[in-house]
Amino acid sequence: MTSIYETRVLNAVIFAPLFFAALVMFLPKNEKGQIRGVTLAGMLVNLATCVWAWTRFMPRSVDEFQLEYRLRWIDELGISYHIGVDGLAMTLVLLTGVLGPLVVLASWTFVDERVKEFHLALLVLQTAMLGAICSLDVLLFYVFFEAMLIPMYLLIGVWGSEERQMAATKFFLYTLVGSLLLLVALLAVYFLAAPAGQRSFDYATLYNGLMSLNREVAQCTAAGNCSAASAGAAALFRWGPLMFLAFSFAFAIKVPMFPVHTWLPDAHVQAPVAGSMILAGVMLKMGTFGFWRFAVPLFPVAARQYQVPISLLAVIGIVYGALMCLAQKDIKKLIAYSSVSHLGYCMLGMFAFTGEGATGSAYQMLNHGVSTGALFLLFGFLYERRHARLMADYGGIAKVMPVFTAFFLIVTFSSIAVPGTNGFVGEFLVLLGTFKSSLPVAFGVFAATGVVLGAAYMLWMVQKVFFGTVTHQENLGLKDLGLREVLAAVPLILLIAVMGLRPQPFLDLLNPSTDRYLARAQYASGKAEAASEDERVRVTVIQLPPKLVVAQAAPAELPTPRFLPVGRVVPAAAAALNPQTP
Amino acid sequence: MLTTPHFPLSEFMAVLPAAMLVAGAIVLMLSEVFLSAANRTYMAVIGLLTSAVAGLFALNNAFEPARLVLQGFAVLDPFSSFMTVMVCLGTGLACLLASGFLKHRNAERGEFYALMLFAAAGMSLLALSNEFITLFVNLEVLSVATYALTAFLRRGPRPAEAGFKYFILGAFAAALLLYGAALLYGATGTTRLSDLAQALPGAMATKAGLVYAGFGLVLAGFAFKVAAVPFHMWTPDVYEGAPTPVTALMSVGVKAAAFVALVRTFLALVHGLDPQVPFTLFALLALLTMVAGNLLAMPQRNVKRMLAYSSIAHAGYLLLGVTALFVPPTAQPGDAGGVLGATPLLGNAAVNASVYKGILFYLLGYTVTSIGAFGTLAAIERREDETRGNTWDLERLAGLAQRQPGWAAAMAAFMLSLAGVPPTVGFLGKLFVFSAAIDAGLIWLAVVGVLASVAGTYYYLRVVVYMFMRPAPADAPAPFRHWTIEVALVTSAVATVALGIVPGPVSEWLSRAGMVFGG
Repeated sequence: MTSIYETRVLNAVIFAPLFFAALVMFLPKNEKGQIRGVTLAGMLVNLATCVWAWTRFMPRSVDEFQLEYRLRWIDELGISYHIGVDGLAMTLVLLTGVLGPLVVLASWTFVDERVKEFHLALLVLQTAMLGAICSLDVLLFYVFFEAMLIPMYLLIGVWGSEERQMAATKFFLYTLVGSLLLLVALLAVYFLAAPAGQRSFDYATLYNGLMSLNREVAQCTAAGNCSAASAGAAALFRWGPLMFLAFSFAFAIKVPMFPVHTWLPDAHVQAPVAGSMILAGVMLKMGTFGFWRFAVPLFPVAARQYQVPISLLAVIGIVYGALMCLAQKDIKKLIAYSSVSHLGYCMLGMFAFTGEGATGSAYQMLNHGVSTGALFLLFGFLYERRHARLMADYGGIAKVMPVFTAFFLIVTFSSIAVPGTNGFVGEFLVLLGTFKSSLPVAFGVFAATGVVLGAAYMLWMVQKVFFGTVTHQENLGLKDLGLREVLAAVPLILLIAVMGLRPQPFLDLLNPSTDRYLARAQYASGKAEAASEDERVRVTVIQLPPKLVVAQAAPAELPTPRFLPVGRVVPAAAAALNPQTP
Repeated sequence: MLTTPHFPLSEFMAVLPAAMLVAGAIVLMLSEVFLSAANRTYMAVIGLLTSAVAGLFALNNAFEPARLVLQGFAVLDPFSSFMTVMVCLGTGLACLLASGFLKHRNAERGEFYALMLFAAAGMSLLALSNEFITLFVNLEVLSVATYALTAFLRRGPRPAEAGFKYFILGAFAAALLLYGAALLYGATGTTRLSDLAQALPGAMATKAGLVYAGFGLVLAGFAFKVAAVPFHMWTPDVYEGAPTPVTALMSVGVKAAAFVALVRTFLALVHGLDPQVPFTLFALLALLTMVAGNLLAMPQRNVKRMLAYSSIAHAGYLLLGVTALFVPPTAQPGDAGGVLGATPLLGNAAVNASVYKGILFYLLGYTVTSIGAFGTLAAIERREDETRGNTWDLERLAGLAQRQPGWAAAMAAFMLSLAGVPPTVGFLGKLFVFSAAIDAGLIWLAVVGVLASVAGTYYYLRVVVYMFMRPAPADAPAPFRHWTIEVALVTSAVATVALGIVPGPVSEWLSRAGMVFGG
């Protein structure tokens, strides 16, 4: 039934940018136009593969993960090259695919130094991001997750503004602290989830292995006595909360949640337009996606234990981010802090553990990518013209750049969740989910104030920048958007409108994912556990392909080859070489 | 009447790689006398070929079953054979680096390569020594060659100082080791490690003090050689003062050989001891070495010194793996366990095989990465700067991405690999070692290790910052390019990335390293 297209299309999605990166590498350094053209073509091809994958994806299918592909990689540790997407990952793949060409268009004239390296970094980053989203092997995810850091680090550090080196290093180190702790927790999960010999970093192995342990821990915690639990459950009882915190810490830095958000304003302010767009559009989603895919499902008991603290941090993030926005003079910093606020909604919805909350949270991930990506894109156009980031440097831009102003206003409305835009759908669902959840009502109330504050800071900013009289002579000569810039902005504007007015196709794509997320988060929540619940949440994936060549048996029984083995040795053949071997 | 033991030819297979290295060294010394051509690049090629052939023979040995050879004085097992392969790889690459480096300084001589090969032979023999006197002699073979190499460039006070310091402290460490061995001999009446392992439980009953004193002295001697904190003081000065290709060889070969010998020795020596004692000592050494190595590297502006401290930090990660071998079997899943304690997740697992493999893979990754990193420094450093003392300042790397994009990309790969960022071999090495450590229950020690490696990332990234994000100084001199250096850099860069992405066959081979004789 599965055609070659279905099994291979995700490989095309992930590696198309890398292929074009190889092409760019062979272009001469000074052919800037060619480099940009090839990169744009690569991103468009990549978008086409993403859309192709989307058409092959069946939201109503009973299979959770689709378009799977699996290869043996590092067998001794049970690491395989295993990719596949569920509904949420599919939407994130699409988002990444859409942003790709826009990023190239946005930096067409902005980046004029070391053009080749810049576009190489963009293409490699695209591959790493798509790889992380599609990975079903946790170690593969980790590899892509870390590999994303290197090109992004270079994007900020080489093409950023004045304080770029500090910002880039801060970004790198913050993320690395989290992800290394994640690695330790991941190794612990790896040893807990399966007995020796069956261990694997595959998502299915880890999840299914922890499932019964989680149920045992939930039961014995409810009974108040975990001393008689099995060795695995005792270990999970003791280490589970710590492992959950390690996972959470890593992803919270990436989201970023209050109080580990401090790298974000620096990184955003210093990054070039392309860097900010990708950072806001896709990379921050790796944090929320990590919570959604790994932290909560693997440790449902610990996640419920920490529901209130994490939701509290999310609410603080919402309000604090919004208040910080009110105090900003720098527009890029304002957009950066608004990200902290918006992603607070995302986290709050996810930790409400209700249907509306989870759907809203997933939708908010897409929204934030579209609208904050668009804000950075549009502000990038302005910055390219004036090279000033302070609101005080602008004023009355609407008179000089009417088209630009119109675009910016639409995006602003999306960002402050005006009904009819995508932002409204997400935030409304999140707030609804929070009120319906077991969290105290105050959480929802404070989160709702974030919406009001959001309208305040965005509208004040718009007023100061776009309306009133033109206060600076330099601003009089600004040109309105050109064709390239309009082309770069229109797709996002369209998405804002479509996702706001017609959310159903996207929700259809997300719903199976949210159902499964909820079932996994609620797993073993104290009610009588039926075996049917296990079947509902179990992760099923395709099996590893068989080994191609008969590989060696256990080392101890190896016959001794007389000659240097080149490649793999077939035991029978080796035995034929050494007839005296017993 | 003297009875001469009968040795079948197969007994000598173990020492064959070392014998070839020695033969190559002799050829090189003779060629210096009889073939004094003006262009001596052929000597580097001879060195490379010799180590390649020796490495291939060692690789062949790695697929032999583990056994005692030469009357129990040596061991032929995959663990030592793979170590020899790595030493040969490191020596071959170091010969290539040395060729360009020495040519630039008009100091290319046959005895330099000969000394390198002698050192490599010593390393190979050290890895398979199974008897204290043999071990000591081989340690001296390797050390004396490296002392001479350290002071090879006799320009200015620095090489002499480094050579002298290395000699004094190295002799001190060797003396400690020998003294410890003598005490153990006094307690047990044997110097063969396999006999020691059997005799120690009995000796513990009567002469516990003697055994513990011997154990401590041997450990201190090895700690000097692998540069574990607090026995690391010689490392930065010696690494800085030695010619850069020699530093590269020291950081990989000497350290790798010492680690293999350490593992082999202590697997025998812990028999009969209270298991808490070796475990606590190794855990403490690992902790101090990981933390101090990384913290001391952070303030260094001198890249060569920074890499010296970083090599200390990497010894710390390896010691973490070694500690996993000595986790006391009494540790329970529920134990409280501080940073120095072990709390297995699921009861005691037999982790030895994965530790050996982890150590070897880590050493392999460190070999290609460190050779590459020191090699890039060797390619960049200028003879004219030698007297000014800022030869290896970070400023020298400023803007390298514009001046030499290839070198900068390679150096960035080496730095990321040292920092353990995927997809490089450094990451996989750390993954293997840390997973073995966590399996053994060293969870908190592993957490300390990863946090220390974040500090490490800071100083590795600073090199990348200078190369990619700082403008090149206007008077930056044109680099001295020589094909041998470039071949070495390309080889190690490709290996660093390729082994990080497709470790497949190599890591499968290394799985056999689980066969440590008696381990």
